Amino acid sequence: EKNISLASPAKIELTCKLDENSNLKNPQVTWKRGSETISHTSKTQNSWTIQLTISKSSEMGSYTCILKAEKEVSATFNLHVPKIDGREKPIIAYEGDIAVMVCKTEYNPWAWTWYMANGTELVPIDKILPMDKFKIKRPSISVNRLEILKLTREDCGVYWCEAAFELGGSKARFELRVLSIVAPLKPFIAIVAEVAIFVTTIVLYEVYSKRKAKGGEKEFDQIEQL
Amino acid sequence: PAPAEAGRAPGPPDGGWGWGVVFGAFVSIGFAYAFPKGLAIFFKEIQDFFGTSYSEIAWVSSIMLATTYGAGPISSILVNRYGSRPVVMFGGLLCGVGMISAAFCTSILQLYICVGFITGFGLALNLQPSVIIIGKYFLKRRPIANGLAMAGSPVMLCTLAPLNQFLFDNFGWRGSFLILGAILLNCCVAGALFRPIGAGTALVKTQVTEEGKDALKGKITEDGPMENKTEEEGEKDCFEKVNQYLDFSLFKHRGFLIYLIGNVLMFLGFFAPIVFLAPYAKHTGIDEYSAAFLLSILAIVDMVARPTTGIVANSKWVRPRIQYFFSFAIAFNGACHLLCPLASSYTGLVVYSSFFGLAFGMVCAMLFETLMDLVGAARFTSAVGLVTIAECCTILLGPPIGGILIDTFGDYKYMFIKCGAVMVLAGTFLFIMNYYNYRMLAKEEKERKKKEEDPKSVRTENEGKKNWNKDSIEDGPELEPLREKGEELKKEMNGT
Repeated sequence: EKNISLASPAKIELTCKLDENSNLKNPQVTWKRGSETISHTSKTQNSWTIQLTISKSSEMGSYTCILKAEKEVSATFNLHVPKIDGREKPIIAYEGDIAVMVCKTEYNPWAWTWYMANGTELVPIDKILPMDKFKIKRPSISVNRLEILKLTREDCGVYWCEAAFELGGSKARFELRVLSIVAPLKPFIAIVAEVAIFVTTIVLYEVYSKRKAKGGEKEFDQIEQL
Repeated sequence: PAPAEAGRAPGPPDGGWGWGVVFGAFVSIGFAYAFPKGLAIFFKEIQDFFGTSYSEIAWVSSIMLATTYGAGPISSILVNRYGSRPVVMFGGLLCGVGMISAAFCTSILQLYICVGFITGFGLALNLQPSVIIIGKYFLKRRPIANGLAMAGSPVMLCTLAPLNQFLFDNFGWRGSFLILGAILLNCCVAGALFRPIGAGTALVKTQVTEEGKDALKGKITEDGPMENKTEEEGEKDCFEKVNQYLDFSLFKHRGFLIYLIGNVLMFLGFFAPIVFLAPYAKHTGIDEYSAAFLLSILAIVDMVARPTTGIVANSKWVRPRIQYFFSFAIAFNGACHLLCPLASSYTGLVVYSSFFGLAFGMVCAMLFETLMDLVGAARFTSAVGLVTIAECCTILLGPPIGGILIDTFGDYKYMFIKCGAVMVLAGTFLFIMNYYNYRMLAKEEKERKKKEEDPKSVRTENEGKKNWNKDSIEDGPELEPLREKGEELKKEMNGT
């Protein structure tokens, strides 16, 4: 199975090659897309090729070559729009701070759109007011940045980044979690307290053992005098 | 006479509170070495957050490393002046403050300062004093103590890596930096364990603390000649005051120079293979998790190798020739790298990682032990500072040179060959030069013995490897009278 990413319309050649050591002799080869059969453009002794011109998103999908002889073997080519990279784990940011979501791809989309998920509805970000809450930057053609300023608890949720290619759109998901400053403070104070306790214990133990030794010394002097 | 009583002799305790000090050094050294490596987990997020390139983020790590090693002499000067304990506690505070302020940074430049300089400097103030104080607490069992303390690095790395990931997943990078700042304050705890010890009154106090009274006055007179000797050493040079803080006369010391040149050479090829191991594995087609697992194997083998090397180095066969053992470890390390390009499968790389972990642990465990052995505990403070600042340059150059080799040739094997060759060269150099050094020392010892009649003079490890060898096993003649006196007093005490 092979995945092929297509950003813009192109002419594609898909070839199925039979291994020389295979047991199948003179198989019957069919190229199919779903239930539709496609006639192959060229063939050699053990390879079968089809040529496709992809110009619409409806022409994408899975193309399979099926070789029938004593056994049936098949290989699938998945043609799809390029996937864009988002973030699987939630992004953690703090109240009053900035949250940054970066969308990347290897191809060049001609447009980027950001959406905020409101229930099942996707609301485009540029329609949301106030305008100074969101900043969208495009450092390069294949990278897009969404900055959410002055974060509050209500900004928690799911955000979608969509890259529009000629052959369709591709989405990436981001989850934003906004924490208050108190959240990391609890473990912080706990650890600082632990450090203080340890240091005090060690110092006290040292003072105690020195005092014990000094007390012993007085005993020693008394013994000497005896 | 029971061996435990040897602790009462005028020399390092070799036990007792010393093991507490080893634990403190374990924590301190662990943080100093492992913390910069553990930060790498946050870099991608910070890079996205500030919109910078990867190399700008990598500078944070480089600045931190450079400061930790470059501030070595400053650390040494402070320890010479104030002792280990205050320096480490101040270093811990500095680290904590650095990371806590890093949590509130709004630009990459501020990160350079807070994480790079401030935390780096704090770690430098942790690393040197920890190593120094082991030399003050241990003599006979010093290799073991060094091996155990240096084991802190892999243990901390194995702990910090998943901990950092956990903190990052739950608190983001800002919250994680805040909490890491608190965690670094634990270096203050380590510092609290570093009870001052040394010639003169400090030594008297600890002896008094540990057991009953023995030859209290006798001890003070014994320490007298030792104090005079350190004063003598200072007056020998023109720059008396500077030498009091940082002993530049070390550059005339043959053993020190050998160590310096050999180590500076070695560090050119020391760290690059670790940096590039995972990328190399991915390059040969191994998936990300298996590649990360290679590093885990390395860390685990390293963890075990360090104390084991310490024990081996302490044995009576190896200790007198510990410099040879060290050279062997370096050459072994180099040989591993030279053979690495032959390992093409995953199993091959696993074998390489294990051997690399072993060699790496061996070298690290003895890194400071050999310097102490050559230079002696008294001058070690300055020696370690001077060595680290010299190593600083090659440590920083090593990985980038490896990177350039990889980019130019498109193949990782040249980087491995370069590292292997450099280390084998360093190992051979150290081996030959130390052979020469041992012979010169034996010659000097013979000459000195002809001049001096008094066999009871206090010695540093620098002199007479053969005689010292006897001392370490059988407790030389100078310790006999003290032990007898101690027994007398004990009987007296029991009598009352």
